[in-house]
Amino acid sequence: MDSEDDMHDANDIESLDDDFYSGETEDAPMDYYSDYDDDPDDYFDDADDSDRVESRRPEQNFTVLMEPDIRQRQEDDITRVSTVLSISQVAASILLRNYNWSVSKVHDAWFADEDQVRRTVGLLEKPVYENPNARELTCGICFEAYPPSRIQTASCGHPYCFSCWGGYIGTSINDGPGCLMLRCPDPSCDAAVDQDMINLLASDEDREKYDRYLLRSYIEDNKKTKWCPAPGCEYAVNFDAGSGNYDVSCLCSYSFCWNCTEEAHRPVDCGTVSKWILKNSAESENMNWILANSKPCPKCKRPIEKNQGCMHMTCTPPCKFEFCWLCLGTWSDHGERTGGFYACNRYEAAKQEGVYDETEKRREMAKNSLERYTHYYERWASNQSSRQKALADLHQMQTVHIEKLSDTQCQPESQLKFITEAWLQIVECRRVLKWTYAYGYYLPEHEHAKKQFFEYLQGEAESGLERLHQCAEKELQLFLNGDSPSREFNDFRTKLAGLTSVTRNYFENLVRALENGLCDVDSNGAASSKATLSKNAAGSSKGRGGRGKGAIRASISSRMADDNHWSCEQCTYANVRSATACQMCNQQRR
Amino acid sequence: MQASRARLFKEYKEVQREKTADPDIQLVCDDSNIFKWTALIKGPSETPYEGGVFQLAFSVPEQYPLQPPQVRFLTKIFHPNVHFKTGEICLDILKNAWSPAWTLQSVCRAIIALMAHPEPDSPLNCDSGNLLRSGDVRGYQSMARMYTRLAAMPKKG
Repeated sequence: MDSEDDMHDANDIESLDDDFYSGETEDAPMDYYSDYDDDPDDYFDDADDSDRVESRRPEQNFTVLMEPDIRQRQEDDITRVSTVLSISQVAASILLRNYNWSVSKVHDAWFADEDQVRRTVGLLEKPVYENPNARELTCGICFEAYPPSRIQTASCGHPYCFSCWGGYIGTSINDGPGCLMLRCPDPSCDAAVDQDMINLLASDEDREKYDRYLLRSYIEDNKKTKWCPAPGCEYAVNFDAGSGNYDVSCLCSYSFCWNCTEEAHRPVDCGTVSKWILKNSAESENMNWILANSKPCPKCKRPIEKNQGCMHMTCTPPCKFEFCWLCLGTWSDHGERTGGFYACNRYEAAKQEGVYDETEKRREMAKNSLERYTHYYERWASNQSSRQKALADLHQMQTVHIEKLSDTQCQPESQLKFITEAWLQIVECRRVLKWTYAYGYYLPEHEHAKKQFFEYLQGEAESGLERLHQCAEKELQLFLNGDSPSREFNDFRTKLAGLTSVTRNYFENLVRALENGLCDVDSNGAASSKATLSKNAAGSSKGRGGRGKGAIRASISSRMADDNHWSCEQCTYANVRSATACQMCNQQRR
Repeated sequence: MQASRARLFKEYKEVQREKTADPDIQLVCDDSNIFKWTALIKGPSETPYEGGVFQLAFSVPEQYPLQPPQVRFLTKIFHPNVHFKTGEICLDILKNAWSPAWTLQSVCRAIIALMAHPEPDSPLNCDSGNLLRSGDVRGYQSMARMYTRLAAMPKKG
């Protein structure tokens, strides 16, 4: 990583800043300072600080490639193979394409059994078809006779005229990237059609397409490279496996997970993320809704939603079964003797005998699990949109406001870096926070200590972030609107920089805890849960809307997780204990 | 358009010249449309199709020979890779493995080869495919033979 030096520079400036403003810090004690008393060695410890920066930015294990870089690398690889094997560049290109652009694999295979490799990839050493030394040759496609000058052959020697080659190659290129593996038109012949022939025989437009496919193949077939998945981004990323960190960020500013190419989701693992994304789009939620709000027609079993009207239901054609919504019995049994048409004695009586308990309970539980999901989804989605907004604000800040602020406050732009840093921190934290909601959703209900610890960390992080976001958004506005230097600006600087640092800390704790699977709980579960309680009691309620709901949720879930039921890991449906597979999605009980 | 016409004309002349070259295949071009052909092929020997004569209909696209011709059986046939109702044929060289070096004549030869060596794992006719896949060769042969007799043999008398 070439910015290693830059990073140290940045640190130096930061520490200079700290020294420079340390005087003011003491003059202006902030309310968040009270938080520091809890664990004094966590914050603003200079020795610690540099370590932390290091840990946040481990040695970069990926490189972003732009098109010229990609072409250069591709050419270098081709040249290497071409030199080592003493074959032409185009032949080397064919070989590499067949071995997913791995130079070492080409070398291994070639030196193990050259003939075999030549056969499979279609690099013939001498023609298999001897053209008679006639003055005229017959094209194998249009069957016209041509003088040899108007006939072209691949390494195999099968003769085709220029225009038939052009049509053959053009059709193949327009069929997609399969054209990179083009072979001689003769059905029994495997000879490869190389790029020299393409360049000679294809139209300009087709040549360009072929060139594109070749470039794409270098990224897509190579195990070490991937395109940046951001829409419209044309960069690729080269990744060196080794460390466990899969988050990469492209020069287009999009961060994504190398492993699953979803957006970056550290500290939550790929499995949870894909489960969550699937769930957000899956039928399972529909199923839950249907179960909670509809009943199946007793005859044809189609789900029916009762939106208004009496209990006399008539199923839609072709079924047309008439039944009572309450007891699901046929309507013809109903009348005066069952308590009139608007109440159903059979239902009331049977309900008292407990006949309907099972199904009603099921309905109730489906409703609950839907609520639980909605709770997490709403928070996941609102952090997502919050992050989008923050990204836009950050951009606005960098392009417009910083410059203006620098004028009105008579400060060099370098002294305003703390604002951009605050916004960068907000963007990053929103991302982490968002994914912790997916994590929280899948955290098993019965792991009470872990759940409590997680919610504590999440709550701390969230309230820190809310304060930071509030400060960066609202309080900065005063200075943006003002037109002369303000004496409070330095106070603001101290506050915002402090909040940035505190929030970073909270999130680092959260990320660390999630990455080691909340294992701290096992060793000192009692201690931390005790701390949780006392802190909760003392903590301010500001910015903790989510936690308040958490309490409600806990009571709901405890009802769900009673001894008679188990919650499906896939769709969360609460099944009766006796079921071995989920009644909703058939997932085996684990 | 011109290229396909020229190529088909070449094939037409070749067929006229070598009418007797392959006694199993009789390829005929429509009198008024060079893009419509029919073929009569003989069921290969030592198969349940032996003794039958099967009619194929060719519909040649304008991009021919860069695109493959569409071929289907007009004669009913009980074969795993031929649709029982429409006569559509599932054969790789008529789809993605097509090469412009194939001709109508060689397509006929490939279809004869397919009749002798069915591919029960990609069936268009599931009943037939299932018989073979479950190892009931006798059942398959008996059905195929029956349909050959019913549909592909000249009625006596």
